[in-house]
This record gives sequence, C-alpha cells and structure tokens, in this order.
Amino acid sequence: MPKHSLTLEKALNFENLGFSSVLCTSSYTSHLILEPSKSVIMYGGDEVSAVVIDLGAHTCKAGYAGEDAPKAVFPSVVGSIDQMDVDDAVKSDSGSALDSKTVVRPFDSDKNKTKRKLYVGSQALGYRRDHMEVLSPIKDGAIIDWDIVDSIWDHAFRERLLIDPKEHPMLLAEPSSNTQQQRERTAELMFERYKVPALFLAKNAVLTSFASGRATSLVVDCGGGSTTVSPVHDGYVLQKALSTSPIGGEFLTECMMKSLESKGIFMRPRYSFKRKEIRPGEFQTVDTDFPNTTESYKLYCQRLIASDIKECVCRAPDTPYDESAYANVPTTPYELPDGQTIEVGADRFKIPDVLFSPSLVQTIPGMESFSDSAPSVRGLPQMVIESINKCDVDIRRELFSSILLAGGTASMQQLKERLEKDLLEESPQTARVKVLAIGNSTERRFSVWIGGSILASLGSFQQMWFSKAEYEEHGASYIQRKCP
Amino acid sequence: MEAVVVDAGSKLLKAGFAVPDQAPTMIIPTRMKRMPEDGAMPSSSAFEDITVDPVVRGFIRDWEAMEDLFHHVLYTGLEWEVGNEGQILFTEPLSTPKAVREQLVQMMFETFNVSGFYASEQAVLSLYAVGRISGCTVDIGHGKIDIAPVSEGAVQHIASKRFDIGGIELTNLLAQELRKSNPHVNLSLSDVEDIKEQYACCAEDQDAFEKTGKSCQKEQHTLPDGQVITIARERYTVGEALFQPLILGLEEHGIVEQLIRCISSVSSDNHRQLMENTVLCGGTASITGFEERFQKEANLCSSAICPSLVKPPEYMPENLSKNSAWMGGAILAKVVFPQNQHVTKADYDETGPSIVHRKCF
Repeated sequence: MPKHSLTLEKALNFENLGFSSVLCTSSYTSHLILEPSKSVIMYGGDEVSAVVIDLGAHTCKAGYAGEDAPKAVFPSVVGSIDQMDVDDAVKSDSGSALDSKTVVRPFDSDKNKTKRKLYVGSQALGYRRDHMEVLSPIKDGAIIDWDIVDSIWDHAFRERLLIDPKEHPMLLAEPSSNTQQQRERTAELMFERYKVPALFLAKNAVLTSFASGRATSLVVDCGGGSTTVSPVHDGYVLQKALSTSPIGGEFLTECMMKSLESKGIFMRPRYSFKRKEIRPGEFQTVDTDFPNTTESYKLYCQRLIASDIKECVCRAPDTPYDESAYANVPTTPYELPDGQTIEVGADRFKIPDVLFSPSLVQTIPGMESFSDSAPSVRGLPQMVIESINKCDVDIRRELFSSILLAGGTASMQQLKERLEKDLLEESPQTARVKVLAIGNSTERRFSVWIGGSILASLGSFQQMWFSKAEYEEHGASYIQRKCP
Repeated sequence: MEAVVVDAGSKLLKAGFAVPDQAPTMIIPTRMKRMPEDGAMPSSSAFEDITVDPVVRGFIRDWEAMEDLFHHVLYTGLEWEVGNEGQILFTEPLSTPKAVREQLVQMMFETFNVSGFYASEQAVLSLYAVGRISGCTVDIGHGKIDIAPVSEGAVQHIASKRFDIGGIELTNLLAQELRKSNPHVNLSLSDVEDIKEQYACCAEDQDAFEKTGKSCQKEQHTLPDGQVITIARERYTVGEALFQPLILGLEEHGIVEQLIRCISSVSSDNHRQLMENTVLCGGTASITGFEERFQKEANLCSSAICPSLVKPPEYMPENLSKNSAWMGGAILAKVVFPQNQHVTKADYDETGPSIVHRKCF
C-alpha cells in the first residue's frame, strides 16, 4: 500500500466489527477542501481508483474517488415511454392515449415486465418526446423502482464517466435510515449486474462528517427530497436520534411555483415557445403546440424554471416571516426563458422561511393540502434541538458546537446565520452553538460526495471493502456486518 | 529546443513545434493502413486494404497503431533525435477516462523517453488561442461535439456536454443522400468526404432551407475516376443537420439550443461572460455559412443576453478555427514548460502514471 504522510488528528473506531480496524482522518484533508476547486485532493489506495456514487432524491452525483468534485451530475428522475402506449396511440385515435396515461403501472417491475424505454440524464430529459412520463425511483427516502436505478447507474458508468464497472470498486452513499432489505438489494444489483470487484455502503451523515474532518458532529442535510438531522458520534450514526422532515428543496420549489401562479405569472416550459423573426430586427415569441406531451413532463419543465428562480433570488430572512413587514420589500427582477421579466418580492423571504416555520405553507394558495396530511412537521431549529436531546448528555455539548450544514438547499444565502440565531435562542444557556457550512455553495451541494471521495481514497480504508469473493461466499446479508 | 504540441483528432493529427501565431507544421490524417509484417508481397487476391482508425470519437483506442503514428510524427516528421527527445504537450477531449490518460503518459515516458509531458483539455486551449480564459467552446470535430463552459481556465464539467456525433455522421448522411439522387454512380466514402468539404454549406435560416427543397442550384462534380454526379439540395441538408438533428435521425435539439441550455445550467453570475465569449472551433465548424447561421440562430434566443462569437485576434493565421486547440497548446506550452509545471521524467519514475491526474488539469 502506498505510504502517505498524514497527520493523524482523530481516530475513528468502527465498534461493531469483529476486528479492530481504525479509520484515520486528518486535518490535512479538511484544509484541502477549502482550497480553490482546481486542486486535486490526496490520492491514495491502489492504481485503480474507486468510483463514488451518491444517488439522491433530486440529483445523482458520480465521479472518481480522490477528486474534489463529481464529474457526472444529473437528475435522478428519468423519462419513460411505455412501449404499449406508443402502439396504442398508433393503432387507434388519440383518445386511447388519455386512457393509457391514467393506467397505473405497478412499481415493482419484477412482477410485471411492461416494456418501457427509459431516458436518463439532463440531455435526454431535455428533449420533449410524445408520451414521455417523468418518473422518480425514490419515494419517502426509499428506492421503489430498481429498474430505474439500474438505468441511472448504467448511464453514469457508460455515458458520463466512460468506465467499465468491472474494474472499479464502488462506494455508494445511502440514507441514514436505510433498511436491511434495501441494502441487500443494492448489493445484489451491483454484484450480479455490474460485477463490481468491491462495494461499500456509507451513510450520508458520516460522509458529510468526513468532508469536514470531524468524527463527531450533528449533520443537517437539507437535500432535494427531505431534510434529515443526524447526530454522528465517532463515525457512527446514532439511529435513535435521527429526525426527518419531508420539507426539502423540491417542496420549496413547489411552494414557489404555486405562489407565483397565484400572482398570475405563468411559467412557459422551454419547449412550448419559439422565437421567429417576422421582420428584420423584430422578433415575436410564438407558442408551439405539442398535444401529446404528458402532464408530468410539463410539470417537470416548469419545476426546473421555478427551481432556478428559487436558487437565484431566495434568501433566508433574519427574523421569522411576517406578511405585513415584508409587504413593501424591494423586488428583484428575474428573466424567464421566454424573455418575460418578473419581479419577485416577498416570496424571496417567505419560501425559505417555510424551513423554519412549516405552518407558513398554509398561507400559500394551492398548498393547503399539505398541512392536512402532515400536521406534525417541525421547523429546522426544533428538529435540531429534538435530535440533540435524544442523545446522551455527555455528547450534547460537542454536538451543539459542531453543527454541519450540507445539501443543495443549505446553500441558500443567509441560512447559516438564521439557523445559528434561532438555535441560540432555543438552546440551553450553557451550550455554545456553532453552525458550520462547509466550503462554498458548490461544495455544499456535493458534501456527501466529497466525503465519499475522501473515504475511498484513504489508504486505511482499502481493507474495509466488501469484496466480490465475500459476497459469493456469504451472500448479500453479509453487508450488514461489513458496512455498519 | 521548442516543445512539441500534438493534437490527435479523429480525422487529422496536428503536430508541430510550439511557435505561437503559426499553424502546425504537420497536419496528417490519423487513418492508417495495416501493412503485412514480413514485407513479402502476398498474392493479389488475398491482399486487403485494412484501414485502422486509432482515434475513435476523440479518444485513443488502438495503442499499437498510435505508437507507430507517433513514431512517424516525432522522429520522421519533426526530426527528433533518438536519445535527445524533448518535451511534449497533448490535447485531449472532454471526459477522457483516467485510464486513457495514464496509458498515454506511460507510452510517452517509456516508449519515447520524452523529457517532459503535459496534457490539457481542448476546450480550454481553444479559448487561449483567441486570447480569453473564460468563455464557452463549441468544438465540432470529426468524431464528437464538445460544448464546454470554461471559467478562468477551469472547465465546468458539470455543465459541459459531449455528443457522439460529428463530421463522420455528416459524411454518411451526404453519402446516403447522394446515392438516392445519383443511383447509378458508385461512391466511396473518401470521395464523399472530399465532396462534403468542397460543397457543403448552411442555408441562411430555416425558411431558406425549406425553400431549397423546392428549387435549388444544381452543380456538376467530376469524381477522380471520371464519373459525374449532380449535387443539388444535399449540400444544404448536410449543413442543416447540425441545427436540426432530426435530419440525422437523432432526438436532440440543434446546436445553438444545446449551447444555451448548457450555459443556463451554470450559475447566473457568469452567464454574460460565457455567452459573449463563445468560440466555435473544429473542422466541421468551417462549413461555409456556418458561423453566420449560428449567429443568426443565436439572436433568436429569447433572453436579453444572446450568445455571440468571439473574433479571433488579427495576428493569428487564417484558418484558426480548424487548429485552435493546437494553437492554444502552443501558447500554453510557452508557459508550462519554462515554469516547470509539467510532469518530468523524475516525477514519473517516482510516482507512476497516476501523476498525470495531479499535475495536469
């Protein structure tokens, strides 16, 4: 094993393993994260470098271990055209196309092999096709459609990274509350279909902790699909103190969309208009009509635009949102793809405040249904306090002083400051509250992936892989032992 | 001695000494023919013309053939002496797999014994050639199309796109169309390639293209073997294919739309800089009328900021767009090698091929 001079600062113990293996991290790595993105992090391990994949609810990030950013980032939803839909529409009139849209296809495609063509990646999804539905493989944090996950991985390996999975060990990031069944299924898919030489499943919160060079921290992961607060102690997630909430980036995008629609602003999807030059120098935007576009695709395109608006103009307010106080706030202009400029005013602050006070959702027209289905959703500061209170008294102090913000939604401006302020008010007097946001906004989106990149390239990690030989000898259930 | 810059494309290999503001001295086709080993002439019936393409879609695939090609280029063409090899800079396309880079650096140090090595991405080099460090490169080559936004010399990999279509698809399309309209003529692909280079052009805009369907100027062309063919609408179809990929049978947007989408996925602070510094390069981008059409379609972009093409500096030679990656390499070579930022033989001996990922971005 090649030797590297690491200055050891903390040693992480994986307690549940039969043998005492010590995983070392170092202050060296956390120093490198903060450098400009052109630098490559330390290179460790064997000649063949591992591949790190983080399949989130919103985007999939994949790349080589040892690099400081994933090479392949694309949406984790896919476009799907049911082959039977196409045949129906061809044989008879368009009336049947409506019927086939409403038929529910069973999600577990093992039982029912409906033939469908999947389109993965932002390029393939960006092209409008007749009858193409947009499907997500993940629901409530768990994978429900393994065919889609298979096609996503295939796209990442063969079309984006241009590698042969047989030659690279794979490090996969998994949600902190993943079930045994999901892990076994993942291992099966990886070993049987892709024939990877070695595999490891690491929890998102642990990887984020590594990315900041800490063994103990409270990770607040504001991702696309949900927000998860997980305490990590010595590299191990404390399962009983986990806290999740369905409010994530996509939920905020939905709020933004409904709020703008209620003000009369209609977001035209990119495919629905074209500009023509009617006279030299004079342009006109013309609507193009595609009757066979599915509703899910139209919503997907509109959400892309709303998501961009959210990322550009939203800021977390310094104090809880108050309708009257923000009525006269200056507006920010935003240019939609079709050329219209809209002014976003109070929504700039209202939408991010939903993270802190979910009850605000009720004031957004069109979102009332949410408050009926999930009355007990708590705001971010409450989730943090609750999570810390479920931990042992001894580590609470350390957790308060190392709260890590990660995830795409966490790169919202002023979020860190607001969270710190709210926590200072709600926490016990003696606690010293410190919220850390890792690096710049680009790195925060990928903090889980970066942690995986560090982990997979550490020399001392190389003996911990779950190898193909072990899989063949002990079966998929052995993964519980190898990847705690 | 000057460093050597090599740009190995799918169709042409450009090589020369790094003298800025000058075109590469060697521009040779990458296609090679396999000769029988022992030199004895086989019987004429068994003699086959086996052509080998060592570079496929921008990436080196056939390493033995490539080694022979480099041998010819370096020792015969550029007159390097065995035992006194200099420094070499390579260009590479987007998304080059790590294994390919490592194999290249290994071949250079072990087989050719170069004294220094550097590799850089073609997108960044094309921008250097026009005197910019930020902008968006649209590289339309023989085997692939790369659209890459570059910020301060670093390619934004997340936003960049690569398409496995290029000049070769256009040649096939032209061959198909010509065979339909000239059924009695026997065409070989290399003839079609020449015809494409000579006659292909872009219509002014989509309406003008539709009009050529009704009436179009016919041209007569004499092939090397004496046959005469008529070329009418096909020359416009080839140029149109890049703007309407449906003609090639692909479900994609045209090239301008792809560029706009690509840039809009980068954070909005940089949009203006990227849009206004768009560079077109690559052999296929030199189709007559392509730039004008590109600019025209770009003006149809709905937002306030439209892509606009960068004017190459006056001191650069005429056919900059075909060789811009090479020229950018020449400029970079003047910076990298004197400052010792390249991979030296000592580095390679100590660390092995993986040093290339650390030293060359």
